[in-house]
Amino acid sequence: MAQGQSAVGTLDDAGKMDKATAERVFPSKPIYSPYAGRKFPTRPLFGDTHLHTAASFDAGAFGARLGARDAYRFARGEEVTASSGQPAKLSRPLDFLVVADHSDNMGVFPDLFAGKPEILADPTGRKWYQMIMGGKGADAALEMIMSFSAGTFPKPLTYAPDTRAYKAAWQDNVAAAEQYNEPGRFTALIGYEWTSNTGGNNLHRNVIFRDNGDRANQIVPFTTMAPLGSDNPRDLWKWMAAYEQKTGGSALAIAHNGNLSNGRMFPIIESFTGKPVDKEYAEQRAKWERLYEATQTKGDGEAHPVLSPNDEFANFERWDFGNLDASVAKTKDMLEFEYARSGLKNGLKLEQQLGTNPYKFGMVGSSDAHTGLAAMEEDNFFGKTTPQEPSPERLTATFVENPKTGIKVMDWQVSSSGYAAVWATENTRESIWDAMQRRETYATTGSRMAVRFFGGWDFDKADAQTRSPAMAGYAKGVPMGGDLSRAPAGKAPSFLVAALKDPLGGNLDRIQVVKGWMDAKGELQEKVYDVVWSGDRKPSADGKLPSVGNTVDVANAIWTNAIGAPELIAVWSDPNFNAAERAFYYVRVLEIPTPRWTAYDAKRFGSKPLPNTQMTVTERAYTSPIWYTPG
Amino acid sequence: MKRLLREPLLHFLLLGAVLFAAHGILSRGSISEPGRIVVTQGQIESMALLYARTWQRAPTEAELLGLIRNHVREEVLYREGLALGLDRDDPIIRRRVGQKLEFISENAEAAEPSDGDLQAYLDLHPAVFAAEPRFTFRHIYLDPRRHEKTLAADAGRMLNELNSRGSSLDASSLGDPTTLPLDFDKAAASRVKNTLGIQFAKALAGIAPGPWTGPVESGYGMHLVQVSERTEPRVPALAEAREAVKREWQLARRIAASEKSYQNLLQRYTVTIERPGLAREERP
Repeated sequence: MAQGQSAVGTLDDAGKMDKATAERVFPSKPIYSPYAGRKFPTRPLFGDTHLHTAASFDAGAFGARLGARDAYRFARGEEVTASSGQPAKLSRPLDFLVVADHSDNMGVFPDLFAGKPEILADPTGRKWYQMIMGGKGADAALEMIMSFSAGTFPKPLTYAPDTRAYKAAWQDNVAAAEQYNEPGRFTALIGYEWTSNTGGNNLHRNVIFRDNGDRANQIVPFTTMAPLGSDNPRDLWKWMAAYEQKTGGSALAIAHNGNLSNGRMFPIIESFTGKPVDKEYAEQRAKWERLYEATQTKGDGEAHPVLSPNDEFANFERWDFGNLDASVAKTKDMLEFEYARSGLKNGLKLEQQLGTNPYKFGMVGSSDAHTGLAAMEEDNFFGKTTPQEPSPERLTATFVENPKTGIKVMDWQVSSSGYAAVWATENTRESIWDAMQRRETYATTGSRMAVRFFGGWDFDKADAQTRSPAMAGYAKGVPMGGDLSRAPAGKAPSFLVAALKDPLGGNLDRIQVVKGWMDAKGELQEKVYDVVWSGDRKPSADGKLPSVGNTVDVANAIWTNAIGAPELIAVWSDPNFNAAERAFYYVRVLEIPTPRWTAYDAKRFGSKPLPNTQMTVTERAYTSPIWYTPG
Repeated sequence: MKRLLREPLLHFLLLGAVLFAAHGILSRGSISEPGRIVVTQGQIESMALLYARTWQRAPTEAELLGLIRNHVREEVLYREGLALGLDRDDPIIRRRVGQKLEFISENAEAAEPSDGDLQAYLDLHPAVFAAEPRFTFRHIYLDPRRHEKTLAADAGRMLNELNSRGSSLDASSLGDPTTLPLDFDKAAASRVKNTLGIQFAKALAGIAPGPWTGPVESGYGMHLVQVSERTEPRVPALAEAREAVKREWQLARRIAASEKSYQNLLQRYTVTIERPGLAREERP
């Protein structure tokens, strides 16, 4: 059956995760071998859901020359030559990649596609045209070659230049994904970016298909330009519904960069109508947008210090100057509708009003690089655009400057972030997509730490001693992205959290649980709890945990793992639980400070950074929440 | 048929056609009269088709009129802009037009490779298609924070015990608690690298199947390791890797076609770069 029929529809891959489902999927019958019959995901798959190639209008204009095939080869771990001419290779392969080129101006539509009169007037030309429109471009091309060599090529077409270019850029991207998708080894998901940007306000979404090329070739991507396209997300959702209905396939959409939307990403008042969001908006958004890209090169989107003044880690890789083209400066009242944490909170309130939570999203990170290179490690950062590929100049160059507003963003402010981690049972399109749909995902800022998060009513301290927390996690609770309700009398929810450092990265400082809830007065609240940390630090009187320290030698761009812990695990129970209040819980994992890409640049190129350049970074992960709904 | 497609003369003719056509694009002026815009039946049909491919239904009359009006508006603005020369010296337009031409020449190659072509490509690039080495091994984890100064001694003692008492000892009960997987069954080298890091993977590559050995260092701490089986990297037969070889062969063809078409176009120009120290005919 087609997936995504409804926000809580039955999914055939354990999509809706409650305890009964977990027991059905992972029977907790005692078997002698602890490894027999395990069907749950045993390792996170890392990838990028948001990479542009030369087929993206802006990337091409910036000078990107790598196409989708280069992007896949690079992500699979091969060495490629970057557009700037330097060799580039990842430290380790990624597991999956979505080439998400902008649908607007993706075109390069050949004349044949455009139905030139002299082509359509010729019966053969018309036949080929219809073959191409029917997704049989390759067959048409073969026929053309045959007729050309047989000397029967129709005369009116001989001078039609583009009959040779039988593929649109979209179909070429689909073909590349088909070629590089290797189930079990590397997944090339088909997708594109719908780039709604009216007035410079970023409402972009990446559309990702569960399906193969046979379905993706039946459609053309939705654009933002009227009359064919639209900049209103409601129209994108209609397009997605039409796609599913027509092809029997499945699609989901992931929004990003609320920080550049100037208060429009998670609205209470819809910018397109000026009216409060209604039931239909809430239902449609909840249905189609089950994930949010919470961190990427253009800044981090988890939380903002103005909204979370008590969260000492909220001020991270901040981009809050204005909207995407810097044409309108940011004002404080916009922030609440831009960040993931405040969006999740407002979702609780809207759910009470409308019956559906429009902002019930899980988290991923991705790059949004326009280079064809999903290279987001600090010591191997290939920039956001081709001019930003490694060079002695990029420490001091300007990224964007709007003379009208005087807003200026420097290259050094671009963040080497991030990746999407997905708890999928297999490395296939279907399995990864299904895990995204059930929100069993987390965001990282480029690190590849493995993070587990389960919620239930029966976790106890012994579960944190186990060597396979997942077995206890799935048997007793729901994983990240899941739901809890119907609290047993007198019980608070308990959570099993575990994190294993990136084997090449910094040690772990701590695991935190971020709780958001709506209190009895209808006020939205949040609190960050330190749950488990390295060393024998003791929280001070005000409840703050002392800093883990800092071993970074900026001048030499090195650090040591003399502080922090390689792994952390704990069971935590909410000390302030009220069974009558809606709440969500998500996990934030912090690494110890490590050198930022700017420090590696300064060391390798010998360039002098500008004053105030951030030279260290605290890499982190954000999991999808687990929601509690009074029942 | 396949032989025909590999016929160099055909490729030459095709390429010629592309270049001739490209020449047509470059040298042909506007085909429509100035001051007159004709929206042809063919164009209207293609608008309707594009609409149907977007929305999975035919446009209504009102929607189609909207598409046509939009097309006319675009055409007027485009022509007026061209008349003012607004397309010249615009780097974005230059790159876009160049990209389109490259796209055309890349797609001119729809040839099917023969087995001989593929075997030759595989022989030339064995490393690209080599199956990764795989390892079946167990490891015991030692957390440096729990052993402070006695790590080396503790590891040595444990190693002796493991190798002297052999299979009577339950290895999974030894070592410090960790959520790292302890058993690896035919794990590819890249998988080992992703789980335990590059340093560990390198050390593992040098361990022969047999007794417990170590300690081996990783980003997590120290490990005692016992390899029971390993398969060396192996170049597959063409039958095993056909799809992958074909994919890379086609990509290489595509790149070569693009380069060849550029070199052919370049032949038609005399390039002079007025910079002292450069030979007059120096090609870019």
